[in-house]
Amino acid sequence: MKYGALVFLSAFLALAASWGGLILAPQIQVGRGQQETNAVNSAELYPQARPGLARQGLSVYRANGCADCHTQQVRQTGSQCDVVLVDAGTNAEALAEALMKANVGISKASAAGLAVGLPKPILRRVPANLAKSTVSAIQSVGAKGKVEIVALGPDIARSWGPRRNVAADYLFDDPVLLGSQRIGPDLANVGLRLPDPTWHLRHLYEPRSEVKGSLMPPYRFLFERRKTGPHPSSEALQLSGKLAPPAGWEIVPRPEALALVAYLRSLRSDTPLFEAPMSSSAPAQTNAPAR
Amino acid sequence: MNSDPVQDILTAGDSREPQSRSVAVPIWLIVLMVLLLYWGAVYFDQNGGWFSAKVYSPYRSLQEVESFQFRAGAGDVFELGRMVYNKPTCVACHQASGQGNPGQFPPLAASEWVNEPEPGRMIRLVLNGLQGPITVKGQSFNNSMVAWNMLSDQEIAAVITYVRQNKEWGNNAPAVTPAQVKSVREKIVKAHPAPFNPDELMKISPAE
Amino acid sequence: MTASESTASSPVAPVSDADSLNASCRWPLLVLFISAAGWAVLASFFQLIASIKFHSPDFLADSPWTTYGRVHDAAGSALLYGFGIQAGLGIALRICTGTATLPAARQWIVTFGATLWNLGVLVGIVGILGGDNTGYENLQLPHYAAMLLFVGYLLAGVTIVFTLHGRRQPCLSSPQWFVLAAMFWFAWIFTTATWLLLLSTVRGVEQSVIDWWYSGNLTVVWLGLVGLGTGLYFLEESRDAAGTRDYRPLFVFWTLILFGSWTGIPSGAPVPVWMPTLSMIATLALAVPLLTIAVTVYGGQPGLRGNSNSRAGSRFIQFALAAWVAATALKVISALPEAASRIDFTWFMTAQAELNTYGFYAMMMFGGIYWIVPQVTGMEWPLRKAVGVHFWLAAAGVLLIVLPLAIGGVAQGMKLNHASIPFIDVTAATLPYLRVSTMGDVLIFIGHLLFLSNLLAVTVRVVRAWGMPRYRSVMMEPSAGEVEP
Repeated sequence: MKYGALVFLSAFLALAASWGGLILAPQIQVGRGQQETNAVNSAELYPQARPGLARQGLSVYRANGCADCHTQQVRQTGSQCDVVLVDAGTNAEALAEALMKANVGISKASAAGLAVGLPKPILRRVPANLAKSTVSAIQSVGAKGKVEIVALGPDIARSWGPRRNVAADYLFDDPVLLGSQRIGPDLANVGLRLPDPTWHLRHLYEPRSEVKGSLMPPYRFLFERRKTGPHPSSEALQLSGKLAPPAGWEIVPRPEALALVAYLRSLRSDTPLFEAPMSSSAPAQTNAPAR
Repeated sequence: MNSDPVQDILTAGDSREPQSRSVAVPIWLIVLMVLLLYWGAVYFDQNGGWFSAKVYSPYRSLQEVESFQFRAGAGDVFELGRMVYNKPTCVACHQASGQGNPGQFPPLAASEWVNEPEPGRMIRLVLNGLQGPITVKGQSFNNSMVAWNMLSDQEIAAVITYVRQNKEWGNNAPAVTPAQVKSVREKIVKAHPAPFNPDELMKISPAE
Repeated sequence: MTASESTASSPVAPVSDADSLNASCRWPLLVLFISAAGWAVLASFFQLIASIKFHSPDFLADSPWTTYGRVHDAAGSALLYGFGIQAGLGIALRICTGTATLPAARQWIVTFGATLWNLGVLVGIVGILGGDNTGYENLQLPHYAAMLLFVGYLLAGVTIVFTLHGRRQPCLSSPQWFVLAAMFWFAWIFTTATWLLLLSTVRGVEQSVIDWWYSGNLTVVWLGLVGLGTGLYFLEESRDAAGTRDYRPLFVFWTLILFGSWTGIPSGAPVPVWMPTLSMIATLALAVPLLTIAVTVYGGQPGLRGNSNSRAGSRFIQFALAAWVAATALKVISALPEAASRIDFTWFMTAQAELNTYGFYAMMMFGGIYWIVPQVTGMEWPLRKAVGVHFWLAAAGVLLIVLPLAIGGVAQGMKLNHASIPFIDVTAATLPYLRVSTMGDVLIFIGHLLFLSNLLAVTVRVVRAWGMPRYRSVMMEPSAGEVEP
């Protein structure tokens, strides 16, 4: 018996099966992704390529192994819906009746208060089908209601993103740097969360000046320390305390630092998509680090 | 040479050497594997999205993803009415602005015919059309309107609701339900198959 | 035998298992093993720097060449490619050669392949430190290094397979199944990953899919095949296995390649849900080879514990087999959906990977090398005590890394899942565990130094002994009859 051939054949078949299943099939399915107008309620193509400077920043991000400590993938553990009453219409009684029929736990007695303080949510955290039928019931009597999708999960609660990430979010990145460890926070939407470029520059120069107790190493090699010329650079970092350079000196970001910050600011995945439904009301923008 | 253990192992399966014993795979391991794979198949069927490119966790099927699609207009009577109005049906004469065409087609915007609290007359004229002189907002028109009884009850209810509740046009009247359209249609389908005359309509109680 | 007694004080010490003395692959093996040991030293040195950076972020932070992301990736690549695959190639060569003689031409081809491989790793590590990191996990070496690696691997791997082809025995032993499949496996997965990621790059997240597939195949299947193959080879040699036909290793072989090759995609990955679901099911199915190995090694048969403790390296191999069982069990458990959502992206995953690549695979390679080198050189280890010390350093080092990171990772995951705990507090809570793991990195580094010294010392002895007629006659005529008393 020629066992050599048997070993070779079994290894070949096993590997060919997994190659077909996890290389070829995904390549056909997601590897040929295109810009699509599948953004919900919008004719805009998604995704859009990053601007040129941000693309250079991606390669700074790659070269310094930023992805060793930062993921760029927001996860989601579930989705539920809120129903918001926008306009109670003219027939409060019919509205109450319709809502009772839709079985959403609104009594005739409380129906009188429905029209006060609109728009207001009348149902919280319900499955999509109940939300849909409730809204049709509301609309059938001339009132107006809308559904808000609530994405669930700790990542979303930490305001790392309004929805989970999907393949379309990475279509133009080369390489795609998803990361696998959260030594630092997730950056999938850092451009949304921290839009201020000077914050990023100071943070790269000395992370602990912006985030107390941060473990991030400083990236001072992305900056140049030079004598202030006759015209001080407008890009020079505004540093205080021990970090401040001596008089007559200034600390100026090198092109790599500016590119990296442009890349970080371009990171956002908050477009509602068919495969990642979300309500288009954007999350509150703050300039504070994520929790 | 025969005492070489490597040699012995290498020739273990050789037909020249008699087989002293063989150790088989425990049967419970094979049973376990089959059970695991069966469970895996069931789990994939329920959670795997059946290879759809549009299903990501936490969604488990395309159906579930679709249930979360709330595109504007879906299930919204006003938006459906807008679609029906612009099909083109009404829009051809009454215009997208609802202002009609002076001297030819009467306006719908802020029209006393549209803003009647009860929709009986409006449902009738949409269903069967209109023939004869009519006065709207103090101006008189004499033209004919075609019957729209080929539209479904739901579509007619939606388009009338769209017109009656269009606040941009200065209208604000109660919505119309498909049930109301249905009952009117049943009343007039035999009794009055021809287009209405405005005078006829004025004689009918709008609540009917 | 009087002649050998009279020369007992000479450096030519009679090896304990002279029966299996086979000197024909001596030089290629020494080249492969010494360079592997060198990379191991370098890898643990880089890892130590990276580890220190966690408690002192400002340590060596002012040069781009020593920033955390680069040093950490250089350490990983040096361990995996420099040490791991290279040592695996050597042991595969030994297993496939068996009692046959390796012709001189093939010795040179393997040695040349090993040289190219080392050049590739060297160029690649310098590239990573210089900022040419590809960004793909487990495939960080830049494309120009990958080309050298590919040619080097092909030269060595094809020679190993041909050695098996020219064997005298009609049947393959089960360890030979394992390494033969592994040789083929790496060629395929490395070609796919290099071609589709580095040369003609695919679009979008398909890059990550390919990288996960490659990583899964490399760490679960390739390391599994070579490591378990080594363990089984050792088991069979130390057992009185003559005439026994054991089907369990073959069952492990088939289930490992069948299920292991689908395990790469992490749960919750931003790809359609069918991919992570299939990977999860495949990972759970790894319980089958896991239990089979447990039954084979620990199931009543006279295993490693009884008759083989006298051999150098047997402790390493026992440790490695236990670590494989533990690492695979952790992998299976962490694939369960309930567990996965809690420990994804935490230090627990690092602990599992470390237990697999170091606790299992690297320890197995140490054991194999400690045991094979005396067989092919006819020399006992010059620093005999260092072997034992290395074992305790390595074992303690692995445990000091794996246990704290696993426990700390679970704690970290629990906190990450409570959005009310600020992220910075989650990070701060992992610091004590990271400090302990730095201790482990120190121990491992010292162990590697001992390992390298021992290998260098034995090489010096072999070179010196080359002039002695008796040694020469033994080494030139490796048939068993010559050394029989």
